Amino acid sequence: MLIRVDNLAKHYPIAGGFFGHRTVGAVRAVDGVSFSIDRGETLALVGESGCGKSTTGRLLTRLIEPTAGTVRFDNMEISEMDAGELRAARRRMQLVFQDAGSSFNPRMTVGALIAEPMHLAGASAADCKARVQELLPLVGLAAEHTDRYPHEFSGGQRQRIGIARALALRPDFVVCDEPVSALDVSVQAQVINLLTRLQREFGLTYLFISHDLRVVRHVADRVAVMYLGRIVEIADKATLYKAPQHPYTRALLSAVPAHRPGAVRKKTEVVGEIASARAVPSGCRYHTRCPYVMPICRTEEPELTELGATHSSACHLVQTSH
Amino acid sequence: MAPALLSVRNLTVAFDTRRGPFDAVRDVSFDVGAGQTLGVVGESGSGKSVTAMALMQLLPDTATLTSGTIAFAGPSGSRNLAALGEREMQKVRGREIAMVFQDPMASLNPILTVGHQIMEPLRLQMGLAKAAARARAEELLALVRIPSPGDILRAYPHELSGGMRQRVMIAIALSCGPKLLIADEPTTALDVTTQAQILELLRDLQERLHMSVLLITHDLGVVAEFADDVMVMYAGRTVERSPVQALFDKPGHPYTEGLLNSMPPLEDEDPEVLQAIEGNVASPFALPPGCAFHPRCPYAFDACRQALPPFAALGEGHEAACLRVPC
Repeated sequence: MLIRVDNLAKHYPIAGGFFGHRTVGAVRAVDGVSFSIDRGETLALVGESGCGKSTTGRLLTRLIEPTAGTVRFDNMEISEMDAGELRAARRRMQLVFQDAGSSFNPRMTVGALIAEPMHLAGASAADCKARVQELLPLVGLAAEHTDRYPHEFSGGQRQRIGIARALALRPDFVVCDEPVSALDVSVQAQVINLLTRLQREFGLTYLFISHDLRVVRHVADRVAVMYLGRIVEIADKATLYKAPQHPYTRALLSAVPAHRPGAVRKKTEVVGEIASARAVPSGCRYHTRCPYVMPICRTEEPELTELGATHSSACHLVQTSH
Repeated sequence: MAPALLSVRNLTVAFDTRRGPFDAVRDVSFDVGAGQTLGVVGESGSGKSVTAMALMQLLPDTATLTSGTIAFAGPSGSRNLAALGEREMQKVRGREIAMVFQDPMASLNPILTVGHQIMEPLRLQMGLAKAAARARAEELLALVRIPSPGDILRAYPHELSGGMRQRVMIAIALSCGPKLLIADEPTTALDVTTQAQILELLRDLQERLHMSVLLITHDLGVVAEFADDVMVMYAGRTVERSPVQALFDKPGHPYTEGLLNSMPPLEDEDPEVLQAIEGNVASPFALPPGCAFHPRCPYAFDACRQALPPFAALGEGHEAACLRVPC
């Protein structure tokens, strides 16, 4: 087990009062999330925008400080690390963002961009150069690209640069936050293939954050479905797609457009839109949209309950039938 | 196919940019039947949005419609929209052809209430009095299934969710009863759950109002669910036109085939490695000679590099611009 997350939470205070000095509430972006990721495994986090999946990714790498809960990385508690320890740990955990282009300094060459993390880690100029030459072909770019600038590249190529940069320090763990969402369809598949190849080659562990259930089915080993800051269902991929138990998971799956015209698709099970993390509904957070809502759902929050060795769901309906 | 409401022939749009001139849309022809949906599929830079803007005469100053005709069947016979002046075009926009965009926040005015913005076209285009416009606005919001329309009329755009804003945009687009709705990536910015609801709404409204839809999207899944016919664009040109079923059953152009294959399946067996289309989208400033897709095409041969492939028929209403067709 490389990552172990327990009861992780991130609440943002809402300022109120005339001068904004008082705290009048909290946005519960992540609200008690627990999971683990094995070495070499891909755990996907799926859910609608605002469900807290990106915040979870940032908490895992301690880019933001949690309000509560713990994150253990390779048996080390990251919230207890001092600056030096954290820097050392961060070399082993990297991020790939949705829009790689906007995270690059436009005045830096591709070579300098990829070498930057190594520079900061104290590598010599010669080492950096050699590593860049090693990385470029690995991500499908040419050696001569090293002296060019990011704007000269297409979206897909910029994402490759972002991946090379993330791999520069030979990390164990990579948080991929919507890594292909901004790419054209024909280029998406290239980048997905690249990510899966690199994972096999280097034994990488991925947290794959995505709203695209097709892409997730292809890349993930296990899938966690988030709703309003909580995991509502987590299962191995085969189970989640074949026998989803939580009404929200079923709704998400039913909303994916068909692969072929005329394909028999169940009528979309989903109604309404995600509630606000500022005012989380009482009881089960999904009860405001759930077609199977029962009285207990409005008052009592269901716990994540084990349904099988690798399958848990947080739903009163599932709990009563099991 | 139903008689064409819109018939576009040989549309070419040139852009004059700091990096030099280029044609964003080249020789594009298509029909949209009455009450039908034409899906226009392509990647960024394929010219699909520019085509839509050209139809509405909403091209930016750097662009010119250099050739082509846009025949639109109106109440008083067919007119060529490309030849209309600005004043006549104003009567077409909103009243006969309306548009919905990807990002409703960018099209709605943040400092005016939703009600004000829905009532504006009703008063200006339809000449309704204030009370009548308000009543009609409430009707329209109910039509797009917005609960408690009265409250929403008083709300500002930022108070609404993305899905609600898109519903408001659709209500505004439908306010003057257009015969053609151009929807440019209407659900791309939305969550998949909201997308499903908006598409269902659009399909239902289209049937009830007997409206034609030009649906621009990069998502073949959306096309599969919603379109009757499809036009696939690549680097400014049409590469394939087809009824939707035939396109998915028997794609004629290697680019279409590549797009279909690169989509990970949701139910069928998942391949070990996805069949990606290699290479990158061609730059409009340095288009390859011959078929623009040839550098990425797994089947390309010498002739593909030399001349532009003509359209070849694959079936009823199905044709592709590829030298391998029929094969």
